[in-house]
Amino acid sequence: MRVLLQNGRIIDPSQDLDIIGNVLIEDDQVVAIGNDAKDAIAEEVYDCSRMWITPGLVDPHVHLREPGYTHAETIISGTQAAAAGGYTTICCMPNTSPPLDTPALVDFILDRAASPEAGGVFVAPVGALTSEMKGERIADLAALKRAGIVAASDEGFPIQNSLVMMRCMEMCLQLDLPIMAHCEDMTLAEGGSMNDGAVSAMLGLQGIPRSAEEIAIMRNCILALNTDCQLHIMRVSTWGAVELIRQAKYLGARVTCEVSPMHFAFTEEAVGEFETVYKARPPLRTQHDVDIILQALDDGTIDCIASDHSPHASHHVDVPFEEAPFGSVGLETTVAATLTYLTHPGILTPMETIRKLSTKPAQILRLEAGTMRPGETPVAQVTVIDPDLEWTVDKNKSFSRSRNNAWHGLKLRGKPVLTFCGGEIYMDAQFDGSRVAGIL
Amino acid sequence: MFRNLLAIRHLGPEAIEELLALATDFKGRIISGKPVPELKTQVVGMLFFENSTRTRVSFEQAAFYLGMKTSTFSAGSSSMSKGETLKDTILTLRYERLDGLVMRHRLSGAPYLAAELFGGPVINAGDGQHEHPTQALGDALTIMERKGELRNLSVAIVGDVEHSRVARSNAWLLSKLGADVRFVGPKTLVPSVMSMLPGRVYHDLAAGIADADVVMCLRLQKERMMEGNLSSISEYAAMYQVNRETLRFAAPDCLVMHPGPLNRGVELDDFAADGEQSCVTAQIENGVFVRMAALYWAFSPKITGAAPRHKVKA
Repeated sequence: MRVLLQNGRIIDPSQDLDIIGNVLIEDDQVVAIGNDAKDAIAEEVYDCSRMWITPGLVDPHVHLREPGYTHAETIISGTQAAAAGGYTTICCMPNTSPPLDTPALVDFILDRAASPEAGGVFVAPVGALTSEMKGERIADLAALKRAGIVAASDEGFPIQNSLVMMRCMEMCLQLDLPIMAHCEDMTLAEGGSMNDGAVSAMLGLQGIPRSAEEIAIMRNCILALNTDCQLHIMRVSTWGAVELIRQAKYLGARVTCEVSPMHFAFTEEAVGEFETVYKARPPLRTQHDVDIILQALDDGTIDCIASDHSPHASHHVDVPFEEAPFGSVGLETTVAATLTYLTHPGILTPMETIRKLSTKPAQILRLEAGTMRPGETPVAQVTVIDPDLEWTVDKNKSFSRSRNNAWHGLKLRGKPVLTFCGGEIYMDAQFDGSRVAGIL
Repeated sequence: MFRNLLAIRHLGPEAIEELLALATDFKGRIISGKPVPELKTQVVGMLFFENSTRTRVSFEQAAFYLGMKTSTFSAGSSSMSKGETLKDTILTLRYERLDGLVMRHRLSGAPYLAAELFGGPVINAGDGQHEHPTQALGDALTIMERKGELRNLSVAIVGDVEHSRVARSNAWLLSKLGADVRFVGPKTLVPSVMSMLPGRVYHDLAAGIADADVVMCLRLQKERMMEGNLSSISEYAAMYQVNRETLRFAAPDCLVMHPGPLNRGVELDDFAADGEQSCVTAQIENGVFVRMAALYWAFSPKITGAAPRHKVKA
């Protein structure tokens, strides 16, 4: 079986490739790109003119909620949403119930992800950094790594004790395991529900000061610098966070970071009249923070873009603001939001866009992904994106089980239309490539 | 059509003046024994998810004067204590055909959720640290009775601004009707960014109340000591108490107000609380009349005709 993606703009940052041409997939491998595929013949041909053909996208930060919170999401529904969102590899977070701190649970997740009903994308589990994510005792990281975790994190329960964090870093350095850290000093953040600023003062909501994030980032960067452990900082939100990470990189720390679209598209003012879908963690900040985040995306201080897909059942969302959980679903909107807010306005080139959505997160977490170079991924992972397709987000048209969607009703420009992962294909209803080219 | 009264900050000056005019009219009729327009067949749910005797009694009295039936609901004795969500409680009351709700809740913004779900008038009787619209209306009526109008008065709001819904509602109302508002309190009890609230911030009492026409004290909760905002009651009193000495900084005919319950010897001394300048009892009395106005305004806009200025959630 041969599949030909024809006349697309091929963008592959791993090969520094940005050309118009064809991509030929035979069985489940990419076999030829560009000139090599010029005269290829295939059983299935998709017309990709005006589309981008890119390495399958990689999401370093997804909550699949299984086991434990399957009313909000399952591995099946989450991987389907990922495929629809253009992703071929997603990293799932360990804050499930029970937390992902034993090899058996890693096996369970990998099994579920490989089941025929799942979306057909790769799931790379992130294990708990400490036992039960309590921030006290290091988890059995060697066993977890053998079971298949790609990184370790205590996610929304950031380790407060600096000694515990240092020990974790030492162990992770030895095991060559990156740490993904949500950075928050809980003595400052506890009880807060939005940015500590003008809007929280007006609404009478307890704020989360920017210092909560920045102090934790500074501590973790210093520990990373002194232990030489690889540290990936999740979802930065303040200008100070960006400056601290810039400085840590300059000093030689093995530090990378990500941003989620909510933090470059919205500010604290999005909370409006207590809209719980804009309750984010870290909270949505100010326009100045967004401006610096945009700069840092442009200059590379921010390495990659993560959906931070955070599904929550509606009975947890239809509550007073302070009782609502943090976060929004994002797997099916992250590419569109990135193109709308970063690529089309000229903040990121198409090449940098794909680097931040695919090649870079794959490199950071050392995943066999983020490239179309033949033979470098276990199976072909290719995404076709229509960069100009305009669509309006409808929270009810989603593969996710949850409807807490901060993007609902917004008009976005750009959409993944074809996701190819091994033998599995997800095709968007609006993609008419096959009709144009016909099937041979 | 009904109207919600969720926050003063959504109201235009016309709506505020309309409410105050209604309250003045009701007060005149009640005191002179004339009949008031009645909302006879209407049932209003009194939802007090947070304990409040004063505000609840005041609303019940207002509803009684208007001939309304009240259905009192307190969180402790209801299905909320059996784990029912706020959403389901509000929907239950909606389909039990209550006509409107008066709601007090410990969380900021909770009445917005209720308004979205209920589909009838919802009056905020105090939500978390956000707003307490009827308190501000009563305070405004009290000031106007003594000072004529609010325009160009300078009003100092003194104390725990950060945690005070009374401070927020009063600041919006007074500034919308042309008064000059000042917030006075320690840095630990005033939000760090005040750019979206109307008023200048002072941390020194003498400067903050200098030549003020009205000094409004805010109630100080003892929990603030535990939470580290203050070292001690005596330190607070020494710095921010409105009393015989500190009142000399304000205008000679300055009014002293307090939303109650008073902590005598903390926010104010007996001289300030009971002296000629004190309006504390008038505030309580006017509270009933503005709550009549609020109920009438929210339930029955026929006589008023003015369109609601605030965003009503679908």
